[in-house]
Amino acid sequence: MIRVAAVGDIHMGPDSPGLLRPAFDTLPDCADLLLLAGDLTRHGTPEEARVVADEVRGLAVPVVAVLGNHDHHDEQPEKVTGILREAGVTVLEGDGTVVDCAGTRVGIAGTKGFGGGFVGRCAGEFGEPLMKEFVRYTRRSADSLRGALEDLGRRGCDVRVALTHFSPVPDTLAGEPLEIYPFLGSYLLAEAIDTAGADLAVHGHAHAGTEHGMTAGGVRVRNVAQPVIRRAFNVYQLQTEQVPAAG
Amino acid sequence: MSDPVASQTDAAGDAAPAADNVEYRVAHLRERLAAEELGELGVRTEVRAGAILVTGTVPSAQCRDTLLRVVHEELAGLTVHSDLVVAETTRPDHAEEL
Repeated sequence: MIRVAAVGDIHMGPDSPGLLRPAFDTLPDCADLLLLAGDLTRHGTPEEARVVADEVRGLAVPVVAVLGNHDHHDEQPEKVTGILREAGVTVLEGDGTVVDCAGTRVGIAGTKGFGGGFVGRCAGEFGEPLMKEFVRYTRRSADSLRGALEDLGRRGCDVRVALTHFSPVPDTLAGEPLEIYPFLGSYLLAEAIDTAGADLAVHGHAHAGTEHGMTAGGVRVRNVAQPVIRRAFNVYQLQTEQVPAAG
Repeated sequence: MSDPVASQTDAAGDAAPAADNVEYRVAHLRERLAAEELGELGVRTEVRAGAILVTGTVPSAQCRDTLLRVVHEELAGLTVHSDLVVAETTRPDHAEEL
């Protein structure tokens, strides 16, 4: 059994140091790793990134993160990534990592993702260059997620988790205004997850959404935005042994 | 219809009607919340029965104070009801078995 702790949208700033550390210090008691689902800062400044870095530096469990749209706002995502990596965080964008948890190989594939909407109510790659690029950006992100998940499969991972900031499904957006769904996620991410296969998909971004959802292919999805889970993190236990099918 | 919304049709020919329009004022509030120190996109603002309802979760008590200050500056003269929650930072008391 693998215990995956996850939280997103912690939006740390100058008034945040120490807010989450007491809870994070208890992680070894209840989890094997911590996933951070983006929007770790408010504006994506190096100063805010340092607050996040100090909050997770030296934790006794591996920490794997993707950035969110807020972490891009100051247009220095590489710098934010570097500051987090210096603190020991594995920051993913279109790639994957394998964490060894007491002999179980846990693969995490991560990308920020982007919007576009969901089947039948989505943006199309058509018209103005800006509109086409909007959809292509999401498609590239989804393609990289699929490639990373497939690679983790080839590397013999026992468990695979898809980590994004934007949502792959509309289920976990319930509570948000319908009109803004296209800005909260894209079915292309779910299609990538279902095509490559995964045991769990974790995302943030939708503060007013719902925790539980599922892709069309049956992969469980969890919205771990801190305002949704109302905790420092949530923990999901994944079985690693094949359970014989009933009947 | 509430008074502030009705006021947009009271006058014509100058900039006052748009400036007084409560929907645009709320839109400008949202732009300011995103642009300034809070970088806040997750708080909902709705016009309800002539008052403005501000709801959502913010990262800290300081953020809530700042947000409410900006709300009252931008929406001066309007009735504001707020229900803002500060994000909880405790560890979970159980795990979900998948």
